[in-house]
Amino acid sequence: MNAIKHRYVLLGVAVLLAMPSLSWGSGFALFEHGNRAMAMGGAFTAVADDPSALFWNPAGMAFQTDEGIQLVFGGTLIAPEQTFYGESPYPGAGYTADQVEQTFPPAHIYLGIPINDRLELSFSVNSPFGLGTEWDDDFLGRYIAQKTDITNFDLGASMAYQLSENFAFGIGVDYMVSTIELHRIAGLINPFNQQLNDVAEATLETSSINSAFAWNVGLLWKIGGGFSIGGVYRSSFTIDYEGDGDFTQIMTGYPEFDAVIGSVLPFDNKVPITTSIEFPDFWTVGLSWQNERWTLSGQYGEMGWSSFDELTLVFPENPELSTTIPENYEDAAQYRIGGEYRASQHVALQGGYLFDETGQPVESMSPLLGDGDRTGYSVGFSYFTDRFRFDLGYMYLETDARSTGGASIDGFEGTYDDGKASLAGATFTIKF
Amino acid sequence: MKKTILSFCMVALLAAVPAMAQVDLSNYAALGDSLTAGFVSGSLMDFYQDRSFPAVLAAQAGAPDFEQPLVSEPGFPPILELVHLVPAPVIQPVGLVPGLPVNAALPRPYNNLGVPGANLFDMVFATGDINNLLAGNTDNVMNDLILRDGIHTALEQAIGLQPTFITVGIGNNDELGAVLAATPIDGVTMTPVDQFAVLYNNAIGALVTNTTADIVLMNLPYSTAIPFATTVPPFVDIPGLGLTPLMGTNGPLTADSLVTLLAGGLIAQGYGLPGGPPLPEDLDFLTGEPGYVLRPEEIDIIDDRVDAFNAVIADVADTYGLAVFDTNAFFTEIVAGEAPSYGGIEINAGFLLGGFFSYDGIHPQRIGYAMVADALVQFINAEFGNTIPRVDMADVLYEGDWQTPGIEPAAAKDVVLSREGFAEVYKLFAPKLANAPRIRRPNTTHRDLPNIDVRRKPELRP
Repeated sequence: MNAIKHRYVLLGVAVLLAMPSLSWGSGFALFEHGNRAMAMGGAFTAVADDPSALFWNPAGMAFQTDEGIQLVFGGTLIAPEQTFYGESPYPGAGYTADQVEQTFPPAHIYLGIPINDRLELSFSVNSPFGLGTEWDDDFLGRYIAQKTDITNFDLGASMAYQLSENFAFGIGVDYMVSTIELHRIAGLINPFNQQLNDVAEATLETSSINSAFAWNVGLLWKIGGGFSIGGVYRSSFTIDYEGDGDFTQIMTGYPEFDAVIGSVLPFDNKVPITTSIEFPDFWTVGLSWQNERWTLSGQYGEMGWSSFDELTLVFPENPELSTTIPENYEDAAQYRIGGEYRASQHVALQGGYLFDETGQPVESMSPLLGDGDRTGYSVGFSYFTDRFRFDLGYMYLETDARSTGGASIDGFEGTYDDGKASLAGATFTIKF
Repeated sequence: MKKTILSFCMVALLAAVPAMAQVDLSNYAALGDSLTAGFVSGSLMDFYQDRSFPAVLAAQAGAPDFEQPLVSEPGFPPILELVHLVPAPVIQPVGLVPGLPVNAALPRPYNNLGVPGANLFDMVFATGDINNLLAGNTDNVMNDLILRDGIHTALEQAIGLQPTFITVGIGNNDELGAVLAATPIDGVTMTPVDQFAVLYNNAIGALVTNTTADIVLMNLPYSTAIPFATTVPPFVDIPGLGLTPLMGTNGPLTADSLVTLLAGGLIAQGYGLPGGPPLPEDLDFLTGEPGYVLRPEEIDIIDDRVDAFNAVIADVADTYGLAVFDTNAFFTEIVAGEAPSYGGIEINAGFLLGGFFSYDGIHPQRIGYAMVADALVQFINAEFGNTIPRVDMADVLYEGDWQTPGIEPAAAKDVVLSREGFAEVYKLFAPKLANAPRIRRPNTTHRDLPNIDVRRKPELRP
């Protein structure tokens, strides 16, 4: 009898252990920090002439001292879509599922304060990382992830200084705050009918403020003839998460089986879990050219996803359950070009294009995130006066279809296809 | 023009090469034992025969007319069912009246020639007569049911099919008896290695010589790792005393000993407990009562025997240039909990809740067999360049049992597996003490028979 009991306990363990391989990719990094910059495809590092420079190149703030105090607030609605086409052995050929449509509203708030005509202090709030995926209740990947929400806020302070008429640098610190919420279903083979039954709903939720500091530095050099060169480096940072696993029993209709499940899974108390995630660093360099009416810009960047090589889950009260999941991400390159046409004293139009490689290896693709290389096309419209500015941006982002090709760590094989997102937003700027 | 023809030929050659290497499963013969037959929960029953690994493999490959010796519900012997899980699992046969053969009139050998209980010797020499079974005699049930004609052995019938593809999964019963009786004895519960080597070589040689089939040999898993041996711990938790080792006839059990599933009932009666009689460790030759304890050195002896058999299988495969499916590695992964996950669902070798094994603790259930079939599909695809689709495990995992819900009220007993319920199963797989010199030579006057030369006869057993 003891062995049977022991096995039940092990099953409880297995349920906890089978936490999904947390997957992140370029899809988890957000680049929507101002709708004008987004409309220019994010090719903004060598432009950096509005406060979204606080993400793309803080040095750019040093050239904005004559704008006065700038207060910026805005948001971008992101509506992603994706369809999953299954392959054998699980969930099987012919199986398809659509992600539940959701809309995410990452917001940005900036405050730029010129101290003198060379020095500007700035403060910012934005979301450099974020992820939300949700699938229907009967989704066959629900044992991995049914709903996932990862949020990340960056509370930034930075200083930009103009060393000469043509050259400036900026440095900043970021206080990163993050939360994670994961929902999944625990399934077991019911010994009475030898059929897979859902036995519990598991939620992993961060329980306290999980934060870390990061830093960034940028350079902007106006080399003459309308040309500028810019570069930015944003450091990696590691957030230590503390959270709880919480279980709700799902009755199978087999009272004895339910009784066994009820006696092993910790339905009455939360199970503490800690983990630690090293977020990638990011650097990009760009070249821009502008005259009275036109701005053209291009840039190359890399996101250091190779930092995300494994995910260690620690159960402080049950060390034997602790586990390490291989992730093996690779650094990912991104290419962005964009431009602006200032049609009049008050109106400007933007356009842009981007190609953003994924750092996610195929074996890590999962219902949490089935990422692929992304291609984006963007347009924008701005209306501005001396004291006020209003930017509208739209981007259409397509994700290349990728198949797990039989390599899925979670044994969830298929193609993540039809990935696309519409991003639309507005940014308001007030100058005092 | 010449150039065109030449390049056309080269294209044709290039296109033909992989195609020729592929295996043709249209006429597939599966030789073996209960694992090949699709034996589940102590029974051979059509629902599970249709889900045996050869049947699933044939279906995946689109093979038509894969015929099996189907037995109607509730199977033969009547299938075991889980009646209660708490407070203690109660597993009993679903009834007393067995099912009937429903495909006995097939005018050719079955494609699935796996005979539950058969060892290598049986595969080569045993015959069966369906009329004997239909007359109500149950002395040779499985051979009668599957081999039917009273003349041809399983090996001969496989050859008679002139198949395009053969799997051979034989040898489990050449050592399983040592686990079931918890007593490894060379020549009694385990086939001597040299005898196995000669017979295996001859049997495979006969297949290679007398058919044009592509042949896959399946080696043997460790039978000491099945739930029948790994479920009952060698100690009990006694209130006030804590963990107390069970007492065997050879002294207190060490933590690395294995106690068989059958001991559950005895322990419930007080065997092995302080103040109770010791748990019989070894096979009683007088009564035929099995032992219940495998000491570490006995486990090693049995595992070594499996290793030796597997070495023979590898040697023979080398000799004839055949592929070997590593059943041992496949099963070891499942035991270690390293089986592939299906969308987060892990199947393991645990009794009742692991998902792989059936209620007898020895044989897989349909999920386990589907996993074997899927592993074979991958093996064949990799080995021969086939493109057989993998098994859709979502269908398998969500499919119910042969009877759903199938729980009838019964009095709970504090046993893991009822001895009555297991008696029929044990009979099939128990070491055959009574008929040690069971040589039944085939009638070799038939022209379609292979010429099997057994140079060395099995030794007479005590």
